[in-house]
Amino acid sequence: MTTSDLAPIEASVASAPRRGGRPTTGRRSGVRLAPYLFAGPAVVLYVVFMLIPVLYAIWLSLRAYRLQAGGTFGRRVEVFVGLENYVAVLSDPELLASFGRLAIYGLIAVPLTLGLALLFALLLDVPAVRAKRFSRTAIFIPYAVPGVVAALMWGFMYLPSTSPFSYLTEQAGWGPIPFLTGSGLFGSLANIAIWGGVGFNMIIIYTSLRGIPDELYEAARLDGANELQIALRVKIPLVGPAILLTTVFALIGTLQLYGEPMTLKPMTNDISQTWAPLMTIYRDAFLTDNLPAAAASSTILALGTVALSLLILGIVNRKRFGARS
Amino acid sequence: MRSRLLATGATLVLLGAGLTACSASSGSGSDGPVTLDFWGWGVGYEDVIEEWNDANPDIQVKHTDAGGGDESSAKLLTASRAGNAPDLALVEFTTLPAMIVADVPLDITEYVSDIDDAFTSGTWDQTRFDGAVFGIPQDVGPMALTYREDRLAELGIPVPTTWEEFGAAARAVKEKDPNSVLTSLPASELGFYAGVAAQAGSQWWSIEDGVWTVGIADEASLEVADFFEALVRDGAISTEPLLTPEYNAKLNEGTMLSWPAGIWAGGVFYGVAPDTAGKWAMSPLPQWTPGDTKVAYQGGSGMIVTKGSEHPEEAAEFAKWFNASDEGNKLLLDSRQVYPASSIGQEMAAESEPPALMPQQTDFYQTAADISSETIPVTWGPNVNLAKSVFEDQLNKAIADGTPWRDAFAATQKAVVDDMKKSGYEVAND
Repeated sequence: MTTSDLAPIEASVASAPRRGGRPTTGRRSGVRLAPYLFAGPAVVLYVVFMLIPVLYAIWLSLRAYRLQAGGTFGRRVEVFVGLENYVAVLSDPELLASFGRLAIYGLIAVPLTLGLALLFALLLDVPAVRAKRFSRTAIFIPYAVPGVVAALMWGFMYLPSTSPFSYLTEQAGWGPIPFLTGSGLFGSLANIAIWGGVGFNMIIIYTSLRGIPDELYEAARLDGANELQIALRVKIPLVGPAILLTTVFALIGTLQLYGEPMTLKPMTNDISQTWAPLMTIYRDAFLTDNLPAAAASSTILALGTVALSLLILGIVNRKRFGARS
Repeated sequence: MRSRLLATGATLVLLGAGLTACSASSGSGSDGPVTLDFWGWGVGYEDVIEEWNDANPDIQVKHTDAGGGDESSAKLLTASRAGNAPDLALVEFTTLPAMIVADVPLDITEYVSDIDDAFTSGTWDQTRFDGAVFGIPQDVGPMALTYREDRLAELGIPVPTTWEEFGAAARAVKEKDPNSVLTSLPASELGFYAGVAAQAGSQWWSIEDGVWTVGIADEASLEVADFFEALVRDGAISTEPLLTPEYNAKLNEGTMLSWPAGIWAGGVFYGVAPDTAGKWAMSPLPQWTPGDTKVAYQGGSGMIVTKGSEHPEEAAEFAKWFNASDEGNKLLLDSRQVYPASSIGQEMAAESEPPALMPQQTDFYQTAADISSETIPVTWGPNVNLAKSVFEDQLNKAIADGTPWRDAFAATQKAVVDDMKKSGYEVAND
């Protein structure tokens, strides 16, 4: 941007206070104040509801409740323990195991959610398809169902005595489907996420598809491409950024898995209290009165999520950069 | 998205601040009416509060339902640390020691000397430690067996009075009607396993001269583990989770035949299977040794006055009226619908109608009074919630993997001991 581009804006901003009858000496300070006033509310909200809580959580993660003499059983008081909570959290084999469970869940849920979302978006974008608006809404509606409601509803469909699927298999003499036991659990949990997530991801990809100029399709058709070839060779490469965005969302969503296993937990013995990392954090904070450990785990999980997101974006960007050069 | 994650930490932190709004205790002390904040879960508080407030214009009580036992105690700890605790709170006996070490309840020994006779010594021991009283017991859950009278009669199985008979009954049920099961005792029921281990002579926690001993994996407990493991392994009893749609369907069908738990079990069943009323009965819990009559408590709670309260005397006054007076106990029975902890409340109960689930069992409350006359004093440790959590996960794992239950009990003991040592308690265990 050149100086000449900026000039009119600066002039108009500068002229505003003068029109309000301010003395000319206030001109400069008025120019400086305005951006702060505009940014002020956002900054205050950010500091109060993000920065301070985050810093407090980090501070809390360096502390612990320890016993001091006095009273019948002694008194637990808060003391500074340095990185002890981090050592305890990181050396807990259950944490690693819970990330392992998330990985299995993610390997099922993420590709299927994104694959189906892309498939539906491409199908909706085919010119000959009818009842587009209806289909789009129908696919999107599960996303509007609150997560806990969805998990409860699926929970009923998984429990042997209330499940319509198990009813059919039982009638056929095969016994109930083990939705909530053993490794069946991963598929059952992933299914809830896929059911709820496909619509949302489809809308993002579909919106991106609508932004592709028609000239490109025209050119492709003139070159003799059919709809399938257009989809594979033109549409998918061009919605790459949208797919990347939804991938990052889906991975972060996987790390934050909480509502579904928590809601299904009372229905099965196979979901432990430490099944997912966020469930461990909940347990530490609200059941076993170990807020500092919960704060330490939260910090680690947050850093891990940021690192994972940056890693994915980095890999993709390098690839694209490499492809261009 | 990332912000949502970071907000997790923020939420934990802000919880304390959010609670401020709930408990603005007012009152300047010397003159004018005093307002007491009171946290409690369950039903029927409207009648209690109304009756008290009408009779005591100078001491007004405001009730807040802060969630059931677990949630309420977590909130109470947080509020207390933030200096916003209510004046009074209902606390489960199992979490009271954790509250005491967190400095939440006030030592109210000086206020309760006049109601010493209101509770049996065994009941007082639930809230009294080293001679210091930290709460007034409200309701108790002496353990009993709630069972399908009609189904057991139909199958020709006698009501078990010992655990051996219970095991035989469980196997007989499976043999005669494979679709039915005598009971389900899942790993989430630490209270049950602790109770029957206490019956067998084990003390999961005990304290002497400031030194704790943890007995979750002592010989008596391990034998209890072996006993139930064998029943589960043979498929004689189930470990499916309680009170799920699945479980409730079985209650309604009449294929889940009993629940050894606190005597409150009938009330819980009536809530999910009201149509089966009249088909159930309650009998004393089976014993390890024939002829024994002692049982432990499973569940039960007491009212504490918090340290932060500006009006401890008035708060104790209300707690005494609610839990130890004739009027209060009538409300506990009729409105709160719990089994009162006090002797007068239990006498009152003995004359009242049996619970809705077993209207035909006219001697229900007489049986209940007999059971409560001899209970085993149980000391709960300062980290029962941790024990509960580890026990549930470990035992579920043992059941799923087919590894010995003994290992799960031992792992729980180790986690409990480690946690106590880390916190700074003196523990006698290695």
